[in-house]
Amino acid sequence: MTACVSLAAVTFTYPGVDRAALSDLSLDVAAGEIVAVAGAAGAGASTLLLVATGLAPRLIGGTLTGSRTIGARRCGIVFARPWTQLTGLCSTVRDEVAFGPASYGRPREEVLAAAARALEQLGIAHLAARDPAHLSGGELQRVVVAAALALEPDLLALDDPAAELDPDAADALYAMLPALGRAGTAILIATPDLERVGEVATRALALDRGRIVRDGAPAVVLA
Amino acid sequence: MTVASGAAGLPVEWAGVSFAYEAGADVVRNLSLRVAAGEPVALAGANGAGKTTLTRMAMGLVRPRAGRVAVGDWDVASRRPDEMARRVGYVFQHADQQLFARSVREDVGFGPRQLGRSDAEVPAVLEELALSADAEVHPYDVRAPVRKVIALAGVLAMRPAVLILDEPTAGLDRELRGRVVAALRRRRDEGITIIAISHDRAFIGEMAQRVVTMREGRIVER
Amino acid sequence: MIGYVPGHSPLHRAHPYTTLAAAGAVLFAAFAMTEPFTVWLLVLAGAVLAASGGVLRPSARTALLLSLPIWAVLFVIYALLGGEPRVVVGPLSLSAPGIARALVLGGRLTAIVLSFLTALSTTSPHRLVEAMTARGVPFGRTFLLASTLTILPRLRERAAQILEAQQCRGLRLGGSPLARVRALGPLALPLILGALAEVDEQVLALDVRGAAAGVHRTALDPPPDSAVQRALRWGLLALVLAAYAWKFVRMRG
Repeated sequence: MTACVSLAAVTFTYPGVDRAALSDLSLDVAAGEIVAVAGAAGAGASTLLLVATGLAPRLIGGTLTGSRTIGARRCGIVFARPWTQLTGLCSTVRDEVAFGPASYGRPREEVLAAAARALEQLGIAHLAARDPAHLSGGELQRVVVAAALALEPDLLALDDPAAELDPDAADALYAMLPALGRAGTAILIATPDLERVGEVATRALALDRGRIVRDGAPAVVLA
Repeated sequence: MTVASGAAGLPVEWAGVSFAYEAGADVVRNLSLRVAAGEPVALAGANGAGKTTLTRMAMGLVRPRAGRVAVGDWDVASRRPDEMARRVGYVFQHADQQLFARSVREDVGFGPRQLGRSDAEVPAVLEELALSADAEVHPYDVRAPVRKVIALAGVLAMRPAVLILDEPTAGLDRELRGRVVAALRRRRDEGITIIAISHDRAFIGEMAQRVVTMREGRIVER
Repeated sequence: MIGYVPGHSPLHRAHPYTTLAAAGAVLFAAFAMTEPFTVWLLVLAGAVLAASGGVLRPSARTALLLSLPIWAVLFVIYALLGGEPRVVVGPLSLSAPGIARALVLGGRLTAIVLSFLTALSTTSPHRLVEAMTARGVPFGRTFLLASTLTILPRLRERAAQILEAQQCRGLRLGGSPLARVRALGPLALPLILGALAEVDEQVLALDVRGAAAGVHRTALDPPPDSAVQRALRWGLLALVLAAYAWKFVRMRG
């Protein structure tokens, strides 16, 4: 299998901080893998997502040593708080979800079709005409995930994606991940919801102080 | 480590309340609910069911267009939110938005100071929630999940008779969640009334004596 | 009231460039006018614009509130302390040229503020973004302008949430001036700190969604433009140029 992202002996330190957030970390994530990333606050799970998607240090600064190869053509990332991920420029959910494909200059019909598919995948097609500013946190988070999927990423990073969702919506979100994996998307999920992620992950990592301390079957690692 | 208890819990009662935002449809419809003093209750239901609106009524943040809300012998309609803070500790879902002081200790002491009370409770609450090591750190220098715990500490330090919590465990890892649940369990055992909006089934199972489920502004299961 | 107010007036339906061109024309024309009469004609034009957008009362009220302190200063500096000849108005002796000067300067400010408030209230940030995208304006500039337009309502909403949270911690609003000043910290600091903390996440989210892709974005629903509106915009430019030409001729003459 082709590696979507390959990290070899990567150490990453945030700007102005002494302690490394990731230490000598090596990891290969293949297309179609669903990798749960577990760890206490400060263990480096969220940082791993930023490094794997190429956002760190490019956008947030800091220093990265070691070797990183991102084979994914396109990456998507979803954070726990939906309102910080809105563009603030779109008056409808459809436009918010279409923002990504539109940014790459794809033809209008293609953009709208990608947005419609993503809305269907998240079960929120009925929200297409709604103003994102008037949605609940749970609805908004599903819009954000749809916006990431509309770009058809090869690597999708999810940082506690169901924090704002009610149980049914959280179940539905996690339930759609295996289909994405089968379609070839590599998925990295950092979450404290070990029960849900354990049901869909094909692999799990446990992080402690920036290092991978366990890597293997979810049933073993997340126990 | 002993944390001094607050006043005994107070009952909270919503009697025939209805509420709509601006010109919209009712988000709470002719709802009646009584939570007994010291009773721990979970409010469940899908997003948009009216749970948060219901709890905001108990704090005087919104006024029902019909019906009455009371906390103990206080009619909420005649009280401002800062007055209700003397009896009710309200922990918002995104409570970390309210942090502003130069240190965690100072921020946790803000509530008691506003109420004209001693902040002697602060060190004990910090220790209880394992925040003592961060006591002199600026709240924005700790991670967002920890800020959520700091916000809870700030409310607990006010020693309320009623605790209203909106998704207290959302976004917390196992360790932080454990701290929060232990603190709330202690308050429950001390007889403080607890009303928690939560989607966390395990938390509900651990904490609540009763689950009230709402849908479209009404109670469907009590 | 500063910010977009949804509606269906002719101004709401106009191409965003047309509405902004009208506000811009008032801005530039105001500095070409040197007489109270012509300046206040411009104020009247601004009021007509606001009325056509269905936002006359709120825009006029906000414009007056914003201009009032400046009017007060102008009155003191020019009317009270100005030179000869003087006129007696009730108990006051006022400078006649000073009154004229105050009317010109104050009128300019009022006309500009009124027309820009009208433009802000009737121009949907979303439609403006689409219009700019359709014209090939780079996203960075589009985002900068649109964010500026939307920042106030967002901050207002956030401030309301923080206010509630602090009230629930016992913060009492009102009271003595000192108490009000003390209340600023718990209200303003979380607003600023929180906004700064969220900028990081928003930058990341926008980046992965291609905001910095550097290609021509696809406009999904560009607002319709028309030959009439284009002609109107050129006409406004011509009027502004004519106003300056007239000012120049009068100065030379």
